[in-house]
Formats: sequence, C-alpha cells, structure tokens
Amino acid sequence: MKILPPTLRARKRYLAFEIIAEEPVRRDDLIRELFSAAGSLLGDVGASECAIRLLAFEDSRGVVRCSPERTDNTRAVLATIRDVKGTRIICHVLGISGTVQGATKKYLAGADVFNPKEQSHINE
Amino acid sequence: MVESGFYDLNVYSVPDDSDKVCELAAIAKHLGYSGIAINDPDPSIDRSYPAGLAGIGIFSGVQIKIQNSSKLHGIVEKFRNRVDIITVHGGNESINRAAVENPKVDILTQMNVGTESGFNHVLAKEASDNKVAISFDLGDLIRLRGGSRVHVLSNFRKDLQLVRKYDVPFLLTSSPRSWYDMRAPRELIALASLFGMSREEAISGLTVIPQMLISRSCPPVGYLCEGVQVIRTELISEGSEGLNGDDVR
Repeated sequence: MKILPPTLRARKRYLAFEIIAEEPVRRDDLIRELFSAAGSLLGDVGASECAIRLLAFEDSRGVVRCSPERTDNTRAVLATIRDVKGTRIICHVLGISGTVQGATKKYLAGADVFNPKEQSHINE
Repeated sequence: MVESGFYDLNVYSVPDDSDKVCELAAIAKHLGYSGIAINDPDPSIDRSYPAGLAGIGIFSGVQIKIQNSSKLHGIVEKFRNRVDIITVHGGNESINRAAVENPKVDILTQMNVGTESGFNHVLAKEASDNKVAISFDLGDLIRLRGGSRVHVLSNFRKDLQLVRKYDVPFLLTSSPRSWYDMRAPRELIALASLFGMSREEAISGLTVIPQMLISRSCPPVGYLCEGVQVIRTELISEGSEGLNGDDVR
C-alpha cells in the first residue's frame, strides 16, 4: 500500500513531561491513569478529539502526543492526574514541540529528575 | 508576553513542620513560581520564614474559616498586622458578603458550596469597590471527579462572567495541602481555560493580582497612606516660615 502523503497527515504536538513522585511509576499504570483522567475530564468524545497517546516513557520522563488544537486540554488532563496505582504524583509538562525529536532534545536531554526530598536538603 | 513572577497565595502547611515548608518551597521553585504564601495552621505562634529561601519569596498568610459572619471583622483586625495575606474561606452568602465588605481582607476563596453559588452581582460590586480578590480554587478541579467537578466548573463559569462585568480582581490558586497537590503555573492556566478563562486573564491572575496584594501588605519605603508617599525629607532651619517638613506627593 502506498503511504499517506505528508500533506494529508494529521499534524501533532508533542508534550515532554516529567513525573515527580517518591517511587517510580510503571508505564502501563500511567497509561491507564492517563486515559481514565482524560475520560473523566473531557469525556470519550473530547478525549478522542484530543488524540492523546503516550509515546516514550522512561526514567520518570516521557512524551505525550496530542492534536495541535488541543494542547491546553491535554495539559489540563495531565494536571488532573493525582496518583498512579496509589503513588501520589505530579505530572509536570516541561515543554511542547512539533516533533518528537524537538521535544526530546530540547526538554528531556540533560534534565535531572526532580526529587523534592534531596532538593530541600540542599537548600538548607 | 511576561511569564515570570508567578505566585500561588494559598498554600497550606502542616502544623509544626518546617521541613515541609522547605519542601513546598523547593517544589514551587522547580515548577516555576517566584513566591508562595503559606497559610499557617496555628497563627498564634510567631513564625518567621527565612525570606528568599532558595530564591523564592515566602509570605505568611492565614485562612479564616468561620461559621458565623459576625465575628469576621474582629478576627481580620487581629491578624492584619501579623500576616501578609488574609484569606477568608467562604461558605454561605453572609460570610462571603462580610468578607467582600471588608477592605482589609485580601482574598475570598471557596465561595461556592456544592451546587449553590455563593456569589452574585451585589457581592461582585462590593468586592470590586473594596479590592478584595476572588480566588478561583483550581485544586477542586484536580481533587474532585464526576458530578461535583461539573458543579465546580459551572459555578466558576458563572463567577467569571460577574468578575468580568464588575472588574473584580481575581486569582488562580491551587490550594495545595502537600507538595503532591502543587501544579505548575502553565497547568493552572490550562485548567482555567476549561471554564472559559482566556490565557491573558489567567496570566494576570497568577502574576499581576498577587503582586498587587503583596505590595499592598508590604508597602514600599516612604508609604504613608493611599496616594501619599514621602519623596524626600528636608530639614528646615529654625525661623523659616511654613511647616513643610515632608515633601508629599
């Protein structure tokens, strides 16, 4: 089959994010929580329009893909995630880009995962 | 577009745990805030937060939660000179009314209880005259789900209409009870867009209005009263006429 020409492909946005939590969370648990939060906040119709999809997720950092018109809604969905399988988390969006490579290079590479416990000791 | 100087003026702290304050400050700084106001659960203890800890401003605050509106003014008077930010936890319409009628109150939060909207055009006008800021507490949007979140959203939408019409100062807060409840300023802007708030309005609710409240309680050097400020002081030699010791503007 011939591939879809680039002009017809749906445009996307990629949100780089970090998970701030005391224990590491698993990818499939996060996906379940992400879709449950999207369904609850936007409904099934809204969630499908958002076209949220979790791409890479490793080491508490990852990339979420969404529709370019719905980046605000996607951000709001990520903000309403409170816990993943009983572990309380903050999902902090680091930046938005038009390509996966842009999001990864610009916002994920080199950034340390934030740990509130360690950080507060340094400050004292 | 100015995007620096975000403030969250409604953070709770756990009694007797200064480590928690450091943790909250560290996470707030990481998320991009330049200042937070900590609502002390026990304001009778005189606590001084290290100013500018880790490059973030920490302001003292108190949240007043009462059942009967008649006591409000006395309590506000008691705390006005002791803390930077006075927040009133609303409830029914009479408490909300007492709060917006008192110019010494900084913030009115949680005006709506359940399906009941505790805010109306009369209160909006009073709040605008007395410069009492109305807080849209986005923590509810994060904490609640289902029906109760629907009520919160529809109440916020109504409140926003009144706030725009009467030009009431408003804030966005997330009222975190622990550091897990904190959200970055941009996430709060996205949540505010869910009930129709524009990006510019949301940014001003996180930057301009909080700064106004802070500068009101921590006045600049030479401030005398509203509209009057000492610019310079000159010593007048004895015998010269006039009583102009201070040049006032």
